[in-house]
Amino acid sequence: MSELALFLVRIGFVAVLWIFILSLLSVIRADLYGRRVISKIAKQNAPKLPGGLPGQVASLGLEDTDSFEPTQIAILSGRTAGTSLELEDKTEILIGRSAGCDLVLSDEFSSNTHAKLIKVGEDWVLQDLSSTNGTFLDGRKVTTPATIKAGMTIRIGTTNFELRS
Amino acid sequence: MSNTSLTSAIPKLLKAVPRSRNFEAVLLFWVSGILAFALAQVQLAVLQKMQWSLLFYWALPTLGALLIHFVLRKRAVSADGLILPLAFLLNSLGIAMIYRLDLAEAARGGTALFADRQVWLSLIAMAIAALVIWLVPNHLVLRRFPYLAGIGALVLLILPALPVIGRTRNGATLWIGIGDFTFQPGEIAKILLAIFFAGYLVSRKDSLSEIGSRVLWMRVPRAKDLGPVLVVWFATVGVLVLQRDLGTSILYFGLFLVMIYTATGRAFYVGVGVTMMLTGALVASRLFDYVSRRFDSWLDPLSQDNYNAAGGSYQLAQALFGMANGDVIGAGLGGGFPQLIPLAESDFILAALGEELGLAGIFAVLAAFLLLIYRGLRIANSHSDDFSKLLTTGLAFVLGLQVFVVAGGVMGLLPLTGLTTPFLAAGGSSLLANWALVALLLVISDSSTRRAA
Repeated sequence: MSELALFLVRIGFVAVLWIFILSLLSVIRADLYGRRVISKIAKQNAPKLPGGLPGQVASLGLEDTDSFEPTQIAILSGRTAGTSLELEDKTEILIGRSAGCDLVLSDEFSSNTHAKLIKVGEDWVLQDLSSTNGTFLDGRKVTTPATIKAGMTIRIGTTNFELRS
Repeated sequence: MSNTSLTSAIPKLLKAVPRSRNFEAVLLFWVSGILAFALAQVQLAVLQKMQWSLLFYWALPTLGALLIHFVLRKRAVSADGLILPLAFLLNSLGIAMIYRLDLAEAARGGTALFADRQVWLSLIAMAIAALVIWLVPNHLVLRRFPYLAGIGALVLLILPALPVIGRTRNGATLWIGIGDFTFQPGEIAKILLAIFFAGYLVSRKDSLSEIGSRVLWMRVPRAKDLGPVLVVWFATVGVLVLQRDLGTSILYFGLFLVMIYTATGRAFYVGVGVTMMLTGALVASRLFDYVSRRFDSWLDPLSQDNYNAAGGSYQLAQALFGMANGDVIGAGLGGGFPQLIPLAESDFILAALGEELGLAGIFAVLAAFLLLIYRGLRIANSHSDDFSKLLTTGLAFVLGLQVFVVAGGVMGLLPLTGLTTPFLAAGGSSLLANWALVALLLVISDSSTRRAA
């Protein structure tokens, strides 16, 4: 083989190695930036609010705690901000990163099965499932099951959500 | 808004198609192509023609990788899709380089040929990995017998020091042999040690991290909790003394430190451990001739005295010359003189690859190792139970530390040790242990995604 051909083969082999490595890196990219499918849907479904990003939605003063009958979970911030989950007639909602949860969080700081909402009588109770990074209700870490009142914000990792009627 | 449970429906749809397996299949064919490319390049450069023997070196490893792939499809369908192609790539590059060194050896009339053996051993190691995946559907069974694993590891560590079966090569007593058959039990011991540490630390992590008196700014654990740490330290120093190998003891002690740090999150252990290890190494360098010679060769490999000394820096100097000859893009497979480095097919295979693939090529090889280790740590992160987290961290880290110590030694950054380069170097025990390690990682990654589903 000629010098030039050998040179091209030589370069070619190293190039093939690198293309292989880089194609693997492109897969790993998804680890860092999350699943694109979900974030797109989140954007489409983000509520059109006058002024302000979906992440900055304040809980709209539902202070009447006596008649708090939430019908949906609204995600306020995080990667899936703007989406919501209807409670329908469920009595238990599993929250976490795993695909088997009722509310799937696309959040690096969430555990696979992170927390649980349980309906006790008329109230919804929040329970942390010994998650790695904790569950917070209105800024306080949930160690024992806590009752959710109107307007309270639940935070898991970088995701904030609340119960709405 | 009627966008009900869209967020939960999408991942379920994706799961119906085992994407990681299909992606893995594509990558395996790609690596298989890289292996054929490498072999063809070697034959064309060294023999100036292609030979049918290429098919043998290409087909058997490909067969082994496909075997694991199909076992994964049957038994662990949601396992990580990048680990197998990466391990196969490294194994393939090793085979191509060993074959290339064989051709050089045959050309000068030598008989120390390794490639055929390496191909068969790769196939056997991959078959054993497939068997591990088939037989161990859930790694949590390993949690049941940590002490058995610990004792097994100790026995394996002591075996080479026993008379009759113990073998010494190049000053290090790391092998056992029966007749022509030799084996390096320390390679298997690293997996058993990771299982033992994971099992032990899961039950002790709270007392190790929470209880203890405060000295200055650190919390010092109770003597009772610290005891096993000291035992492990003595054991690794014992390995250093009995088997005359610095690398093996660094590997085991490093594994222990990282696992205890992962379990407790306390820098105290790392600080004390590294100090003890450095003290041990310094004392050893004063007490033992072979360690001090290693240190001299490391500090000044190109001095005339070290170069000429028996067991001196000749090998390292040849490796450095070779890599310098390789430059940035390398001499091309078959284009350099890696056969001039003693033990180029085993301990110094990274130097041989560095010469023929160049800086760019060796970086690709190291990137493959890095990705493999990264995938391991990612599996550890995605698991929710402590045993799996610890075991996976340990397995991934021990691979990383081994590559670091070997690459550092070959490049003159660290003193030379007797560790093997995972997947690349010629040798059955190393292939077997590392393929078994990869099989465990695959099983663990499968159970993490499956439990999540």
